Amino acid sequence: MISRSAIGRNGQLALRRQCCVKPTNRRGLAAVSSGSTSFSYENADVGGVKTASRDVAGPTTKLAVIAKAGTRYQSLPGLTVGLEGFAFKNTFKRSALRVTRESELLGGQLTAYHTRESLVIEAKFLREDLPYFTELLGEVVSQTKYTAHEYHEEIEPQIKLAQKKLLGSVSALALNSAHSVAFHRGLGTPLYPSSSTPLNKYLNEESIRDFAQSAYAKSNISVVANGASQQELAKWVGEFFGDVPAGASPLSGEPTKYFGGEERIAHGSGNSMVIAFPGSSSFTSGSSYKPEIAVLAALLGGQSSIKWSPGFSLLSKAASSFPGASANTTHYSYSDAGLLTVQFSGSANAISNASKEAVKSLKSISEGSISKEDFTKAVALAKYRALEEGQNIEAGLVATGAGLVHGGQPFQIDQVGKSVEAVSADKLQAAAKALLEGKATVSSVGDLYVLPFAEDLGLKV
Amino acid sequence: MSAPSLANAISKRPWLMRIMKPISNWYCNAAGYRALGLRADDLIPEESEEVLLALKRLPQQEAYDRVFRLRRAFQASLAHQLLPKAQQTKPEEDIAYLSPIIAEIEAEARERLDLESMTITKKK
Repeated sequence: MISRSAIGRNGQLALRRQCCVKPTNRRGLAAVSSGSTSFSYENADVGGVKTASRDVAGPTTKLAVIAKAGTRYQSLPGLTVGLEGFAFKNTFKRSALRVTRESELLGGQLTAYHTRESLVIEAKFLREDLPYFTELLGEVVSQTKYTAHEYHEEIEPQIKLAQKKLLGSVSALALNSAHSVAFHRGLGTPLYPSSSTPLNKYLNEESIRDFAQSAYAKSNISVVANGASQQELAKWVGEFFGDVPAGASPLSGEPTKYFGGEERIAHGSGNSMVIAFPGSSSFTSGSSYKPEIAVLAALLGGQSSIKWSPGFSLLSKAASSFPGASANTTHYSYSDAGLLTVQFSGSANAISNASKEAVKSLKSISEGSISKEDFTKAVALAKYRALEEGQNIEAGLVATGAGLVHGGQPFQIDQVGKSVEAVSADKLQAAAKALLEGKATVSSVGDLYVLPFAEDLGLKV
Repeated sequence: MSAPSLANAISKRPWLMRIMKPISNWYCNAAGYRALGLRADDLIPEESEEVLLALKRLPQQEAYDRVFRLRRAFQASLAHQLLPKAQQTKPEEDIAYLSPIIAEIEAEARERLDLESMTITKKK
């Protein structure tokens, strides 16, 4: 028996509530879904907190608080990482240990992570435990204590480890460097503080507490659920997110501007090179969304999507003739900007050859010498990826939450598919041409004696 | 480690507080640690995990002041002298700076023990 005094009043309430509300929100797998089974989110404003949910049939729920407090919005270096570390730590109502033990008893899983734009606090649990975990997330957001000893004993060592990890990983270094060259501040801030950032100067429990005041303000967060009905979510959010401060000074980033340029970092363990171009902002931002960039990313590719073949993508064909190099094209889209990156890793010689080949293939796209078949394949792959991202619970959750706090729209899967389908070959050619005419971003990490300069590749920086 | 104490029970009853306050002041002065410039919390024995952890959690300035008080007291004790009146601890300076942290750590340990020893029965 869980002793009454041990589980605390809140736990008791939550447990009691579950057995009362069970009939309304619990249904077997075979039963007909009460909500919509489509993959679109319903959104609502509950007492100033933006919520969105999609009621996908199933026995589990994923609930997340998404705060517009990623590294882009931090006012001092490291604040986002520090705030992430304080998730699920001691609150004024219960201790961190109790939070852990209680969620273990209910079979829940708690995580916190951040991206360049959002800080995500997430819980996964059984559908009937929605009230308990909504209360928990509300408590984390509004009642965390931010004690000095937790910071020094638990969070600070973790941040130091993250710094070391970043220092050791060439691909992460190259990506961070590309972002900072492309966007300078804001989106250019590294995802984890680099190893030489003077953290002691900026980071302590008080600066984190101050940052939390604006990061977790009502206007700055959204609550997104997957596998819960909108009414249920609205009801519990209304009850448990009442204490969240209204927020005096909202976090605001400067509008992102693309700069471009070149950075070279010597590194002893491995080689990585990133060639990047300005991309398209995410679908949720509305007007500045350019689906042709996604198609271009699919066409350049690099990693095969099928087995036993390099695939149709231009870079995988190019890389296959230089053994030891691998290429990968990724399109990072943010609320008001994007970055189309081609990342190479492997031996320095192979990278230098493959990167030259990559620029050649981009030129061939801009000249329009691309086969009809490859174009069709690229559109199909880009469409699949966009739809899969929307269907994927994790990505859809974050995209929707970020879209809501940035004042856009939730991630609506059917519209994304349509806009990708509408890309024509001419549009693609024009986009590639514009990229090559503008300034590129080139970051090389590793053996700088061998790795080429942007000039050698024929790119303007 | 905090010693068992009736302080809570006494401070809840104003009439008892009024009687005990002068006695406690007399006792603290008579105990002599104030004349060496110490605070009551400086006398808590350090030889336990809880107190060691609490000492680590002290803010930097507090920890520095504590070491200073202890060294000054050792010096005075070796020299068989009391500190000059101005340097002795005044009653209003004699505040509990360490025992709240110790109490917090003990509460944490107690909670952990409670959670570890609980048994779970499923709801019927």
